[in-house]
Amino acid sequence: MTLISWIVVAVCVLLVLAWYLSYSAARLDRLHAKVEGALSALDAHVVRRAEASLELANSGAIDPASGFLLVAAASESLERVNERTFEADLLEGQHFAGRETVESALTEVLHAALPVEVSRDLEAQGGPGAAALERVREAGLRVQLARRFHNEAVKEVQRVRSKRVVTIFRLAGYADLPRTVEFDDTLPGT
Amino acid sequence: MKIGLVSPYSFDVPGGVQFHIRDLAEYLIQHGHEASVLAPADEGTDLPRYVVPAGRAVPIRYNGSTARLLFGPVAAAKVGRWLDEGDFDVVHIHEPLAPSLSLLALWAATRPVVATFHTSNVRSRVMQAAYPLLRPSLEKIHGRIAVSEDARRTVTTHIGGDAVVIPNGVDTAAFARASKDPRWSGAPGRPTIVFLGRIDEPRKGLPVLSAAMPAILDAVPGARLLVVGPGSAEAARARLSEPVLAATEFLGALSDEDKASALASADLYIAPHTGGESFGIVLVEAMAAGAPVLASDLAAFQRVLDGGRTGMAGALFANESPHDLAARAVELLGDPTRLHALSELGRERARVFDWAVVAKEILAVYDTVAGGSRQREVTRLRPGADRRRGGEHT
Repeated sequence: MTLISWIVVAVCVLLVLAWYLSYSAARLDRLHAKVEGALSALDAHVVRRAEASLELANSGAIDPASGFLLVAAASESLERVNERTFEADLLEGQHFAGRETVESALTEVLHAALPVEVSRDLEAQGGPGAAALERVREAGLRVQLARRFHNEAVKEVQRVRSKRVVTIFRLAGYADLPRTVEFDDTLPGT
Repeated sequence: MKIGLVSPYSFDVPGGVQFHIRDLAEYLIQHGHEASVLAPADEGTDLPRYVVPAGRAVPIRYNGSTARLLFGPVAAAKVGRWLDEGDFDVVHIHEPLAPSLSLLALWAATRPVVATFHTSNVRSRVMQAAYPLLRPSLEKIHGRIAVSEDARRTVTTHIGGDAVVIPNGVDTAAFARASKDPRWSGAPGRPTIVFLGRIDEPRKGLPVLSAAMPAILDAVPGARLLVVGPGSAEAARARLSEPVLAATEFLGALSDEDKASALASADLYIAPHTGGESFGIVLVEAMAAGAPVLASDLAAFQRVLDGGRTGMAGALFANESPHDLAARAVELLGDPTRLHALSELGRERARVFDWAVVAKEILAVYDTVAGGSRQREVTRLRPGADRRRGGEHT
């Protein structure tokens, strides 16, 4: 083969390689964006759950001891959120900032404060207590969904980032490897 | 919220997936959302006004049978236009792996995607071969829903990852409203047993029930068996012995209202299905109407009946065993308190499958995935937000 045809072949190979790299990078970017979106959804619903718990505690529909425990756990959760907001960026590095234990604790207190009988009574009474309970449940369901979808997305990113083309060409840049978020998010009173 | 729903199957022919999409779209519209359904359909077919026809489906061999699917560049362009014009907050794709509009929509989607997996019947060899092709598209799904545990297992084994189980909705209110009909109600010593399903389809289990009837009649001589469902009664009659024949009434196919009141009147509903049921809508309908349920112990049935902390909302017998079926039925018919308790538990359990409950959960999924991308615009306003990702490749 002549030099010209060698050059043509080389250029073609380079073009294909370039296309493949940019395609892989775009795919990875899309996955990172999905994780980010899922994490901010989780963040938003965790906040809503804590707010609804506070509301329930202050509704006067549950006993003061349970209410106090609930206020303590919910404000702990909200404090952690606020604390992070003053730093540059809540989602920096795409992790949950170690809030898992706080959220598990809130779930535990919700279970303790809302056994099946208590939830039934609250529903039967109606009024602000029932409305707050409904909001706690709605937020709780969304926390569950958001956490599940987030973890799915994280696993996809982890899989793609372990591919050789991604590691050799450093397609992930300086983005931290996202981690799954694990805490107890079972729904109370069901 | 603006929601785009994609159906892989034509609305000209009835089917579970199409009914699900139709009911969901109507619920969404009733509750103040905007919904548009993209589905294959012939030009000029009479469609609900929220359905956008995407063109004529072509019959083609796929997955071991002939399916009517829509694909090709013209369909792909149509999907792209629909997505652009719709400007949806969430695109909800049904059966994302069906090589039809669903796969095309997944390929073209730029908005958050929710996908519902309906089938539990996927050829694993096909999936393995097509996997590298499909994987990047599948990664676009933000939230996965499976309609049953079986469908979920298909997702975990063939695609990897997990899905949230949200069952198919049933209009339980229509069954709960049904009133008793004196023709089909039992009297002391003359309880009524109801069977529902095609008479000539053995997997609906009429042969098992027929074989159990002599033993049931020995213990409860006055029992009446009401057989509701289409199919030729002649063949079924020929299999029955004289005393069983005398106790059996073939009602044929009934209207939805009559079916509901037959269930509401029944002292006991028996579901002797021998297999092939992935969900068990029929049990939900019976429970909603307040009929105490005795069902074969298929995995799908157990899951429908099992209310977790509230306990089993129906009784079970060993599948395909007329002997066990008869023993359980006699036991139940002799215990009115237990029958009453089962009826109450069943009504309670059926509520979980009501459209209102199911649609709320689907909306929660929409909220979660749409919330994620809306939230992003807010977080971008924070200082330093734009250096969050490595970003050098963008």
